[in-house]
Amino acid sequence: MCICQQGNVQVFYRDLPLSIQDGYERFLSSATVSLQQYQVFGHLKRLGYVVHRFDPSSEPSSYAKQLNLPQSRDRAGRQLKRKRSPSPTATCSYTEAQVESTIEKMEEDKCSLEGDDAKKLAASPDIQTATTSGADEGRSWWMTDDLGASDKELHHSPTSGSSRWDFSSIPFPDVGSSERHPSCLAPPEPSLLPGDLTVGVCDIASWRRKINLRMVKMSSKEQKREKDKRRRRWDVNKDREVRRCRNWAEYHELLARRQRKRKGRPAHLWNREVTPLHDPKQPISTGELLDKISVIKSTHLLEGASRLKGSEQWRICFNVYQPDTVVDFKKSNPGKPYSRMCVCSFDGPVPDLRAIKLLAFQSGDIPVVFAVVDHGDISFYTFKDFQLPIDVFP
Amino acid sequence: MEDSPSMDDHQDSSLVVGVGLCDSAPLLWRLQDLKTARRLGLVGALLGSLPRTPRQNQRLGRPLLLLPEEEQLLRDEEAAGALPGPNQDVGGAELRRQFEEDQQRSFEEQSVLALEDRKSALRRAMTSSHTGSESGAEAVDEALRGRLEALDHSFSFPQSAMAVQLSTARAGLSYCPEAWAHLQASWPIREQNNPRSDARYQVFRDLRGRGFYLTSAGKFGGDFLVYPGDPLRFHAHFIAVCLTLDESICLLDVLAVARLGSNVKKTVLLCSPAPDGGVCYTSLQWSGMV
Repeated sequence: MCICQQGNVQVFYRDLPLSIQDGYERFLSSATVSLQQYQVFGHLKRLGYVVHRFDPSSEPSSYAKQLNLPQSRDRAGRQLKRKRSPSPTATCSYTEAQVESTIEKMEEDKCSLEGDDAKKLAASPDIQTATTSGADEGRSWWMTDDLGASDKELHHSPTSGSSRWDFSSIPFPDVGSSERHPSCLAPPEPSLLPGDLTVGVCDIASWRRKINLRMVKMSSKEQKREKDKRRRRWDVNKDREVRRCRNWAEYHELLARRQRKRKGRPAHLWNREVTPLHDPKQPISTGELLDKISVIKSTHLLEGASRLKGSEQWRICFNVYQPDTVVDFKKSNPGKPYSRMCVCSFDGPVPDLRAIKLLAFQSGDIPVVFAVVDHGDISFYTFKDFQLPIDVFP
Repeated sequence: MEDSPSMDDHQDSSLVVGVGLCDSAPLLWRLQDLKTARRLGLVGALLGSLPRTPRQNQRLGRPLLLLPEEEQLLRDEEAAGALPGPNQDVGGAELRRQFEEDQQRSFEEQSVLALEDRKSALRRAMTSSHTGSESGAEAVDEALRGRLEALDHSFSFPQSAMAVQLSTARAGLSYCPEAWAHLQASWPIREQNNPRSDARYQVFRDLRGRGFYLTSAGKFGGDFLVYPGDPLRFHAHFIAVCLTLDESICLLDVLAVARLGSNVKKTVLLCSPAPDGGVCYTSLQWSGMV
């Protein structure tokens, strides 16, 4: 059609020459070569390019190309995307929250000091049941006696759930205090005593004599010093978490936890199913560390493209060869084209990633140019593979 | 297919533009159709190679591609007629005979002209050699004169050297330029019924009615380029983006088109047809930071 227009060829149809209009109407249709494709073809031909039809089956596959030339694939650079994970420093607090929410809450960890301003968090049911069972074991010899008796509820709250002792109702004898002067202690509850043991009143007068009940006389300076020491001394009983411990086992656990945290291996990071990606104590290069923590893996355009099936909408139409290579150009052996054309229009959809991958795969290592036709104007667009720079010094 | 019309019909028929369909695109082929369309203010886009200078893309030749809005406007004003299609082979033998007669006539004219051409070339050679060096001039002169005389007798203009004209517009395969001078103004309805194309057509008609010339503006990110006069004389003033009134656009799109407009020094017009028949215009101009 184009050379017909350029005045080089006259086409005869039924012994009569075809006009250009005839040529257009007969030869150009969406089944063969559409008007838009012809427009692009004509445009490029007028500029001097050599344009041929694209035949996907005549393209050597990438494997065939590999046999000829070793493909040098540069390592795809990794993209930088730091995950927002808190570094396990000592200032980060640990929470006693549920196991499931620990992972989500890692970013929301608020730093808290070991002090009064620590947030009061509910104890997790796991720990609760653990300590309940522990406490139960400690008291089992006691409780088995009382399981049947429901009226002996003096010393502990109902056995169903809570395990708190009501210390206000348990009188511990204070032998050393000077306020009370009991000369004897009341005998304990006979139900609490094993077997047939009976205990009478205990006379503690002799022991009180052995206790030094004299007040220490301190000078004013010493008194001030004692007061300051007392003020500055951290009373372990003031720690809320310590107060929450119900028995020695829990307290030891608390101490161990704090110890681990100090050493940089807090339980909430290392004792769960999801542990940090990297132990900060292990040496690692920056590049490897970036690889470890990267969320988005970088990819190149042809990845996964071989699995894509062809589509009707997006096809490569032409091979374009540059005009100055006409010297080596032979119709039987054109060589590598300069680019390949895919014709579309502004009314149609923008090519999505799938279409771009498909066309890039079909084209091999030659860039695909999209010729967008708009009622007589043609704009050319192409997509380039690009790698973000990484700031890593090996 | 009608034959040559009477004179008074000629006046009417000149207002009917013959449109041919190629791959569902409306094309104008005949010269008088292009003139008519331009007179109506429809610019269109030329697609073909210019016969005299085929190897460039700045100035193109026929056919003229119409915008769908232009096609619809022609149909609404009953100024478009369908050109007969390519497969109508009316009067085959008659056409062939006529074609051959035309070819013969053209051949005879051309051979006469070719002979004249040859003679004048030889004469030029003779006179130039005469004014040149004196020594070998006489012999050359004689040879040339001899050839000149022989030319009259034995000049033959080969058929294969004949210049042939390819007609751009189809004349019904009949070489009658007056064929289809008279066309019925009937154009099939080919509109796409979506609100976007309706909006575009309303805006097109309104702006055309106000005297603007409109072309397509795909590469400017809009629907139309609006010229205050003929595009050959003016630069475009506006980029028109057509939207329906109830369509919501993302602010980023507005920003993008405003930026683009300011970069190409054109004002962006957001156009929406109003339900009362008029069109509501909003212009965007980048005023910079306050």
